[in-house]
Amino acid sequence: MKGKPLLSPADPGQARLIVIIAVLIFVPLGFSVVSQVSRNRAESPNDFLEKPDPKYEECVRETSYMRFHHWELLRGIREEVVRYGKRSDVGLTKCSECHTSRERFCDKCHNAASLTPDCFDCHYFPK
Amino acid sequence: MDRRDFIKTAGGAFLLASSGAYAFRVLTAPSAGWMDVDFTPSGRKWGMVIDMNKCREDCTACLQACREENNVAFVNDDRYDIHWIRKARLQYKEESENPGKSVILLCNHCDNPPCAQVCPVQATYKRHDGIVIVDHHRCIGCRYCMIACPYNARYFNMKESEEWPNKDFPKRSHGVAEACNLCAHRLDAGKMPACVEACARQGCGALYVGDLNDHSSEVSRLIAKSAVKRIRPDLGTEPKVYYIGL
Ligand code: HEC
Ligand code: HEC
Ligand code: HEC
Repeated sequence: MKGKPLLSPADPGQARLIVIIAVLIFVPLGFSVVSQVSRNRAESPNDFLEKPDPKYEECVRETSYMRFHHWELLRGIREEVVRYGKRSDVGLTKCSECHTSRERFCDKCHNAASLTPDCFDCHYFPK
Repeated sequence: MDRRDFIKTAGGAFLLASSGAYAFRVLTAPSAGWMDVDFTPSGRKWGMVIDMNKCREDCTACLQACREENNVAFVNDDRYDIHWIRKARLQYKEESENPGKSVILLCNHCDNPPCAQVCPVQATYKRHDGIVIVDHHRCIGCRYCMIACPYNARYFNMKESEEWPNKDFPKRSHGVAEACNLCAHRLDAGKMPACVEACARQGCGALYVGDLNDHSSEVSRLIAKSAVKRIRPDLGTEPKVYYIGL
């Protein structure tokens, strides 16, 4: 059958289309692969942080959420508890049930990020 | 398609795709914990009744219980001591033979709190259930509230408490003002304040805390049936601590 092939790179309009489709498919794919790999690396066991007792499987929220958002969680709970009286099952004192040491867990990261939260002047957390 | 066109389209498509991927990640990221506040005020108004006829002059059980519950700084030194609840002896204006009455004083949890009005950072405020409370996270230690309070119920943390009897409740570090919070953490958990429990344990039962909006509550009935007085209601602060037999 004579006539144009369905997609011919010789045609400038179609070449443009092919490029756009290819980029739309492969760039997000590459993005998700890279982020997946980096996430797996971060979740692989390390001895930088003290692990909680293995009988606890999850943090109070998803571990990946806690890693990057625990300060937002704490601030949110604090607002709800102190200003609205909405008591929560999560709280700064409850962290120490699983993460038994401040020096070997919280402060490891905070020192690396040169953060000095003053929370423990008032809130109880074993050293 | 020449090289220039190819680079332009490829670049444009790349930008489109990567911003799409970025937007996807942002939109599907877990939201912060405070986004879903489904808050309905309880409609309660906590108030206190103190029956001075039942209070024993030599008893300080409520003071001790308060210090232990709330980790209040107390080192027996007038410069540093903090009293969320205290006992004072009234003095007569004219010379008198008999000593004055000993009364229990604490934050009056005013309906119209002067301390909250002057607070420059809204650290002190009236909660929806009428408790006047300090948000120690916001307090900058300016001490306006101490000047504004006509009842001298506010104290400044010059020295933080050395003991930590109640680990579930935070203590306060140097540099924040504080006052009685009517044991808001206990009321929220459905328990009575520490002073009320201690007083009942002593067998006096001179302190009552309850809901003033609920007309069948113990405090409302006591206020309705006995001659109650408040301290300096003429100031317009509408205190919510009522005294019987003052
Ligand atoms: C000046 C003392 C003080 C400091 C400093 C302080 N807090 Fe608090 N915090 C309190 C008090 C008092 C409460 C009220 C406790 C209650 O009502 O149960 C509270 C309550 C909370 C609560 C809710 C109840 C609980 O026990 O979990 C959270 C969450 C909280 N604070 C987080 C923080 C964080 C995070 C920091 C550090 C950035 C911090 N706080 C620093 C005094 C303090
Ligand atoms: C029920 C026990 C428990 C409680 C309570 C708890 N956690 Fe966790 N937490 C865990 C577990 C289990 C992990 C996962 C550890 C791992 O896999 O490496 C974790 C992980 C974390 C991580 C990520 C560590 C990393 O490897 O990057 C942070 C940050 C964290 N928790 C903070 C907190 C904070 C803040 C609190 C208090 C609100 C808290 N946790 C309360 C059990 C708990
Ligand atoms: C995985 C590393 C890591 C661990 C483990 C960790 N943190 Fe953090 N934390 C951070 C980082 C990073 C920040 C800074 C966030 C920001 O401000 O952008 C932070 C901030 C905070 C803040 C807010 C500080 C401020 O000045 O506002 C609080 C409160 C906090 N963390 C509490 C805790 C507690 C309690 C624990 C232990 C149970 C803990 N963190 C464990 C990394 C960590």
